[in-house]
Amino acid sequence: MWSRKSAMLGSLAVSMYLLGLTLRNTQLVTIAVVIFVFLTWAALFGGHADVASTGRRADEWKGEEGAALGNVSAMRKLSSARIFEDGELDVTLRMQNHSSLAKILEVRDRVPEVMRIKKGSNYILMELGPRRETLIEYTVECPLRGFYSLGPVAVRIQDAFGLFHKEKELHVYNDFLVFPKMEDLSDTFVKSRVPKIFTGAVNIRQPGPGSEFYSLREYFEGDSFRAINWSAYARSGKLMVNERERDAVSDIIIIVDSRAVSETGPVSRNALVYSTRAAASLTKYFLGRRDSVGVITYGNEVVSVDRDTGKKQLYIILTKLSGAVAGGNIPLQVVVNRIMPHINKGSPIIFLSNLEDDPTIVNALRDFRARNFDVTVLSPSSLEFEFDAKRLDRTGYEVMKTERDVLISELRGLGVNIMDWEPDMLLSTALAGARGF
Amino acid sequence: MTIKKPSGDTSHLYDGKTVRSAAPSRKKAAGQMGIGSEIPKDAIPEVEIPTFIESLLGGPLVPKMKFLPPDKMVQNLQIGVYGVLIALALLTFIVSPEEGSIWYMMTGSLGFAFIMQMIVIISATVAGFWGTFQRDARFSIASNLLFILAILRFASSKVTLSNDVFGFSDSPTMLSILVVVYAVLLIMYFELSNGVIRYSMLDTSIRTNEVYVMNPKKIVGKYHRSLILNPILATIMAMIVLNANNILPFIVGIFSEDVAMRMEESVELISVYGVALGTLFVFLVVGGLFALNLPTHLQNYRENKAE
Repeated sequence: MWSRKSAMLGSLAVSMYLLGLTLRNTQLVTIAVVIFVFLTWAALFGGHADVASTGRRADEWKGEEGAALGNVSAMRKLSSARIFEDGELDVTLRMQNHSSLAKILEVRDRVPEVMRIKKGSNYILMELGPRRETLIEYTVECPLRGFYSLGPVAVRIQDAFGLFHKEKELHVYNDFLVFPKMEDLSDTFVKSRVPKIFTGAVNIRQPGPGSEFYSLREYFEGDSFRAINWSAYARSGKLMVNERERDAVSDIIIIVDSRAVSETGPVSRNALVYSTRAAASLTKYFLGRRDSVGVITYGNEVVSVDRDTGKKQLYIILTKLSGAVAGGNIPLQVVVNRIMPHINKGSPIIFLSNLEDDPTIVNALRDFRARNFDVTVLSPSSLEFEFDAKRLDRTGYEVMKTERDVLISELRGLGVNIMDWEPDMLLSTALAGARGF
Repeated sequence: MTIKKPSGDTSHLYDGKTVRSAAPSRKKAAGQMGIGSEIPKDAIPEVEIPTFIESLLGGPLVPKMKFLPPDKMVQNLQIGVYGVLIALALLTFIVSPEEGSIWYMMTGSLGFAFIMQMIVIISATVAGFWGTFQRDARFSIASNLLFILAILRFASSKVTLSNDVFGFSDSPTMLSILVVVYAVLLIMYFELSNGVIRYSMLDTSIRTNEVYVMNPKKIVGKYHRSLILNPILATIMAMIVLNANNILPFIVGIFSEDVAMRMEESVELISVYGVALGTLFVFLVVGGLFALNLPTHLQNYRENKAE
């Protein structure tokens, strides 16, 4: 392909040539000829293949890279396929030259825009010897959650004067996942006045499958022999079996608002980012407590992860949260109507939303409260994000803030534990504020 | 992965306190209400609309990048530019007498035309020196344009010299070589002044870790070789093209000596149209080779040969 420099030189040569002919001036024609020769030489021996001369458009031309780049291949290896926000990913790119000719290559491994190169470089200029390979290592920092892909690898070869170049994209892609980062909440709850924030729905002091001893009862047919308490049998002369206490498991439902409006604010500081981080932290905390956690995100559509326990559930939820993309405007009422029949009465519900642009929020949360659900709302304030980013003037901010305060007061009046979560506040602080500790 | 909190102890947030729902930023903002509702200046994004010239060139003329002090490679290139610049200025003065200049065409005054021609050449030289020294592309482009302006001739086809100390005017071949050498120097000046900027950018990118260069000596070595080889090859090829009025009769002479003699003596072939005809002939061949995708075949041949 022609570079801007070669195009300028070519234009100059044509102009001088035509002017020379018009004015019948040998000097101008001579200069034009020398420029033509210079360009032709670079084009012929700089590894240039002129697509235009074949009459084919560049995007139709599959073999644009020509023979020079045909023998170059790339492979990539990542240190991990899953990392957390602000984590670092080590990338090793292996460039191979299968040809018997040495090549001077410009290699750029395409990295998603939001990522920062922490160590090394993804842009390398190198001479790759015949039948040689080289390893390019660099480290990227991943500040934002999401599904990402590294690649393609763009390879360019050009003549020494930078007049013509050929490019090839090696379609080598590596996908990886950046999970939202999590805040450790355990300290917060230990130091609070009550040991657990959600006691209402926890089924304790009931016999059932579990590990703790609950009581003794008489043996019935069908009971496991392993459950027989032989000491009690010796004392009483009757077959007695141990009953165990049902594990204190509660169903926690976390609803994450991922409507288009949730992304209001800077890319790295908006309600959706805060909500996903909070949801991840809460999930980790509750699953660590052996609770059952389900997550619902809504925006374009309602996406739910059914309640379950264990480490696997944590990764399922983290994956869903990583892929939550802002879009759509489904009202909360639709979500509530859909999930209400499927959740246990009295289950704690944690709703993460900036509470904007949805007139059904009050009614939807009222429905929850009417059925005695324990509702906690953490509301990252989009106004604060916008105001801090100086995208909102002060008067507008004050007016909208007042409206927001009115809405929060109304929700508080319904018995909803709500917290206006502002950017500088830690999640644990916001949660403590919401629960009134 | 968890966030490291500033302090592990957060009990002070709850003990005997009511956690405020308002962050300091909001209260501070609320306290300042009444100052005005104007949009802060830094909230308005800067929109840079390229000028007409910039849009023609495809980007900003002034590079945003500040170069680091030049390394040895850039310094050598700068010295090379100074040398070529002096030679070019001298040759420009010799091959562009005031008679055919644009100034003479406009005013008809030889004296004025001479002064203007000198001003243009000196300005081009000074701008070239300054642009190379400061590594400022604007001055280099200005210098290039001034050199082109200086060589624009509105005279007849005959090459004339303003100063013929060595008696080149007596030999058409020497005149031809002089003009070709001048043209090659002009191109080399364009290339070298551009090379100073390119390698300064590369050097700065290397030192700021934006780009990593493996084995820079080989890459620089290739450029140095090209700086020597390409002008020589360009000179030889240009001489062949420009001597088409001798080569064509020679080829025709194989078949018919009479026609060849008539061609040699024809006014058309030794005039500028002869040069144009030769150029057209050569470049039609080159164009044909490109149409046949010769570069790719050549590359394939080289690859296969290396196998």
